[in-house]
Amino acid sequence: MTGQTYPTYNLKRYRKWVLPVIALAIAVEGAALVCGADIRELNSGLIRSFIFLGQMFPPDWSAFPDLVSPAVDTIVIAVLGTFFGTIISLGFGLAAASNVAPRWLRRLTRGFIRIERALPEIVILLFLVAAFGLGPFGGVVSLTIGCIGMLGKLFADAIEEIDPVSIEAIEALGASKIQVIYYGVLQPVIPSIISFALFRFELNIRLSVVLGAVGAGGVGLELYRAFSLLDYNRGCSALIITLVLVFITERLSEYLRSKVRMEGALK
Amino acid sequence: MKQPSLYTLPSTRYKRKATVFSLIAILTVGICIYLGFDPLMLFTEFHYVVDLAGNMLPPNFEMFRSNGHVWRAILETICMAFLGTIYGGSIAFVLAFLAASNTMPAWAIRQVVRFCLSLMRVIPSLVIILVFVVAIGLGPFAGMLTLVWTTIGTFGQLFTQIIENLEPAPSDAIYAIGASRVQVIRYSILPQIFPSFIANLLYSFDINMRAALAMGIFGGGGIGFELYMAMRVLRYKDALALICFTIVLITIMEKLSDHLRKKVLGAATLK
Repeated sequence: MTGQTYPTYNLKRYRKWVLPVIALAIAVEGAALVCGADIRELNSGLIRSFIFLGQMFPPDWSAFPDLVSPAVDTIVIAVLGTFFGTIISLGFGLAAASNVAPRWLRRLTRGFIRIERALPEIVILLFLVAAFGLGPFGGVVSLTIGCIGMLGKLFADAIEEIDPVSIEAIEALGASKIQVIYYGVLQPVIPSIISFALFRFELNIRLSVVLGAVGAGGVGLELYRAFSLLDYNRGCSALIITLVLVFITERLSEYLRSKVRMEGALK
Repeated sequence: MKQPSLYTLPSTRYKRKATVFSLIAILTVGICIYLGFDPLMLFTEFHYVVDLAGNMLPPNFEMFRSNGHVWRAILETICMAFLGTIYGGSIAFVLAFLAASNTMPAWAIRQVVRFCLSLMRVIPSLVIILVFVVAIGLGPFAGMLTLVWTTIGTFGQLFTQIIENLEPAPSDAIYAIGASRVQVIRYSILPQIFPSFIANLLYSFDINMRAALAMGIFGGGGIGFELYMAMRVLRYKDALALICFTIVLITIMEKLSDHLRKKVLGAATLK
């Protein structure tokens, strides 16, 4: 473990781990007390969840036709959220990059990104639902805002990694500020923008399901409603659709990302 | 491999760009119309936001003094995230050894574990929390179990990749002097991945803090539940106070975990 050498095998080497392990055990025990975590309850709970899962089968096959339109809604909310989110985050990324933006703007933007990252999308959606009412509008806007925290930071970091020589070369040719940003800053980071956006899309599909249950609509709402109405077979159908959606988007985004990475490397 | 666009004429390039952009624009507008989503609504209906802000300001920080169980909710959220990370991380750690090709010789077990991990990752946390709430009842325990589940899914795969990407040379060397498979793990693999394991645990605590908030809304207890209740009974001033507190809490946790992570990883590179 350390640089010291031990002549023979000796249990004393584990002595430094004793106190941390005891401290950890006490912390875990205390946290379990606060959460009401109990191993016996876990056992009976797991048995109950298996019984519950058993009740869900077989899925309600007749529900699939009415679940198609919510599923499309879920996808569309995620697509729009990712699209607008990427565009807005690009602005934030530019404003937060040290080689593009002035210092005060950078500070301000980084602060905003940090605050946004601390807010889960679902909380943003709660506020949007309070302001605009239920519906996909809140879902799209909250996903858009949710992108800023993650993508804004990633874009800013990608932009900061650009070789300053290429920006200087474009400046030396007499390009205006906008031309420098377009040719020197945006062009080199396009592959990483696309691959980050695809990654975010993968997350957004999952989030869009969760947000649906709070009021954005889509397959998440169907899932939540089916569970609340104890219509578990219908819930199972919605679950299957969700799994298929998540699985397909994951594969698709992975495939597209590997393609973008390859083409980006070629150029 | 396709020729890069460097060799095409500028006019062709612009035409291609124009086609792509107009296609994207048409698609976006079409989707917006399908969904009934009007981005301008954010501006035309902005008075709703102003109304809401008027209802929320100033945040009612008094509630932290008058309402004792808010503190309990905060503690519950932190404990949920902590336990989810510890238990989920430990289980993921063990499963990763069963799923990595250089520690698990049996192909069948590897595939089964991998399949379970990817299934855990694909099932949305919404479903998990709904199932646990039905099976165990409302409260932080259900939220904690959900966090354990999601942590196993994400970090099991991550740890598997970390183990598989290790250099084979140290393990080979130890194996060559007659160590058993367990000894190889103990003396070659464990010391190599331990720092990144700790760093990832800290990172996952960070993620779980946020997830714990969302779990609360679906009945997982903790601060998310308080927030949801405050919004539902239209006590926006309380809700804003909770939000402010959460932002501060999560930012502090993030800074702390970043700092510790750098320390752990820095100590590892020194060795």
